[in-house]
Amino acid sequence: MKKDKDNEKLVDGSPIKRRDFFRKLGTVMAGAGVAAVGAGGAAKVKGNRKADLYWQIDHEKCIQCGRCETSCVMPVSAVRCMHANKVCGYCDLCGGYYRTNAKELNTAAENMLCPTGAISRKFVEEPYFEYTIDEALCNGCGKCVKGCSSFGNGSLYLQVRQELCLNCNECSIAKVCPSGAISRVSYESAYKFKDHA
Amino acid sequence: MKKLLTSAGLLLGAGPLARAVNRFPRPDFESGYQYPEYSYAVPNEMLWDIIDVSVLLILLGIVTWALFKKRTRGPILAVSVVSVGYFGFFRGGCVCSIGSIQNIALAFVDPSYSLPIAVFLFFIIPIVFAFLFGRVFCAGVCPFGAVQDLVNVKNFRISRAVSGALSVIPWIYLAFALLYALTRTRFLICRFDPFIGIFRLGGDIGVISFGIVLLLMSIFTGRPFCRFLCPYGAILNVVSRASIFKVKITPKPCISCDLCHDSCPVDAIKAPYGNRTGETPTEGVKRIVIYMAVLPVLMLAGALILRWSSPDLARANSEVRLYEMVTEYEASFSDVMEPEVEAFYSQGRNLAELEASKDEVLKSFRLYSTLAGILIGLVVGLKLLEMSLKRGRKEYEIDYGHCVGCAKCFDYCPQNKILAKNE
Repeated sequence: MKKDKDNEKLVDGSPIKRRDFFRKLGTVMAGAGVAAVGAGGAAKVKGNRKADLYWQIDHEKCIQCGRCETSCVMPVSAVRCMHANKVCGYCDLCGGYYRTNAKELNTAAENMLCPTGAISRKFVEEPYFEYTIDEALCNGCGKCVKGCSSFGNGSLYLQVRQELCLNCNECSIAKVCPSGAISRVSYESAYKFKDHA
Repeated sequence: MKKLLTSAGLLLGAGPLARAVNRFPRPDFESGYQYPEYSYAVPNEMLWDIIDVSVLLILLGIVTWALFKKRTRGPILAVSVVSVGYFGFFRGGCVCSIGSIQNIALAFVDPSYSLPIAVFLFFIIPIVFAFLFGRVFCAGVCPFGAVQDLVNVKNFRISRAVSGALSVIPWIYLAFALLYALTRTRFLICRFDPFIGIFRLGGDIGVISFGIVLLLMSIFTGRPFCRFLCPYGAILNVVSRASIFKVKITPKPCISCDLCHDSCPVDAIKAPYGNRTGETPTEGVKRIVIYMAVLPVLMLAGALILRWSSPDLARANSEVRLYEMVTEYEASFSDVMEPEVEAFYSQGRNLAELEASKDEVLKSFRLYSTLAGILIGLVVGLKLLEMSLKRGRKEYEIDYGHCVGCAKCFDYCPQNKILAKNE
């Protein structure tokens, strides 16, 4: 290493200055690096435009642990309960509607399983009742889903609602899901429906 | 009846893991009951991709124009507000260029991972701009940089030794982010994103508190996150050192008034330096030779330390954690079953298969943590070398690696004022 004074003298006569040379070399190397990463990345993108975009719950893996309710980045989880009417048994004594230790089978709050009162039912004909989820009230706790899968047909299931989901780069529920039920699916299979299988 | 059979068949055919059991037959309605129809909205992700990328390009263009042509801070301030509003609060801060590093890295090593085009564009466009014009993305297009810049009032300078040591952190953060992304464990950058909770008005309380602390700090010193944490800033730092067009404080000769030096929030303007350390040239050469010899030693040490600690690092991986939980459960058979263990058995998995997949994870952790250790050693070594290189400067110069193009120095330079008056 020369002192600065000498350095200037040394490079004055030469056609290309040493520091300029290194600078240009650096630019060329950086440019090549950016081009390589760009080309490599572009090659990875090609052809899968609509693949694996939407976070969805695989209801066959879901064990209704209740973490969907608390782990979503949204103040109220983007996971809501959905009802597959074509799977439902339309029972009067519904495991997703009444608590297991319900004293009387009426709509008093202490007999209801849903903590937010999001499930309502309507008499259809003897002995069938139609159950409906009010998704504005649902918080995705999955209590009714657990009851329905344990005692009924499993027609209630949890799913990520796309109009609510922020589509995070990494779903924070997926990371705490004990059964690994949440994954990204393609555009075509957004909404893994239970009754549209 | 036929319908009932097909629906039962569907349920049975759904696989051995199907939890749905057709305990009750599908009712035969006599009252002419119709099943309700539900329709669910799938958002037009393609449209949002186009809007996001267009906004990114327009904002980058405005900043570049303001820095190189207009030479004023006004438009950059406007871009900062738009960016915080749009990319921050409106779009919820996702996907961002910082986090896209992980997707890109994963796409390169995992062929099963599909890279969305918006993520790729958010990664590469700011880098291309950095290669051409320097860190114009950081100036105000990045909502994280913009929000820190907007609250910045006073700049207390951090000493060269402290800021030099702290500026290694982004690289260490990058090394660990890559390690955990490549092993498909976690996206660390997304998990510990300090501002996203603020943008979304909700989230992990610890991370939000950290974001608030960073914002309070950035009142008194410019952009602590960008300088001492941001891994994407580290990449842009390297690229913009070699950028083709470089921003100048003033097109006129410098009069060495020191005003720009005081105005810079990220300490990217280097004061004139006489290099009179009383050191003989041989001493300087000796020091650099020693640091060059230390560099491979640091890389080796980093590799060995991280390789040695890779089993502990791997415990963040869900497969490894599940293996620990299941073996613990099988050893004790306690009454309480963790949901993970319950899911493990209900999916019909067995311990041998889990152990194999755990070993696979451990193997990739060994490889990538070694590489991460080499990267950390390399960066620490190069930082030592850089800080020991002492070059003389006659006037105020921009350190293009650290300059974020905020244009604050333009208004402080008296030479620019004369220019404005003459026009």
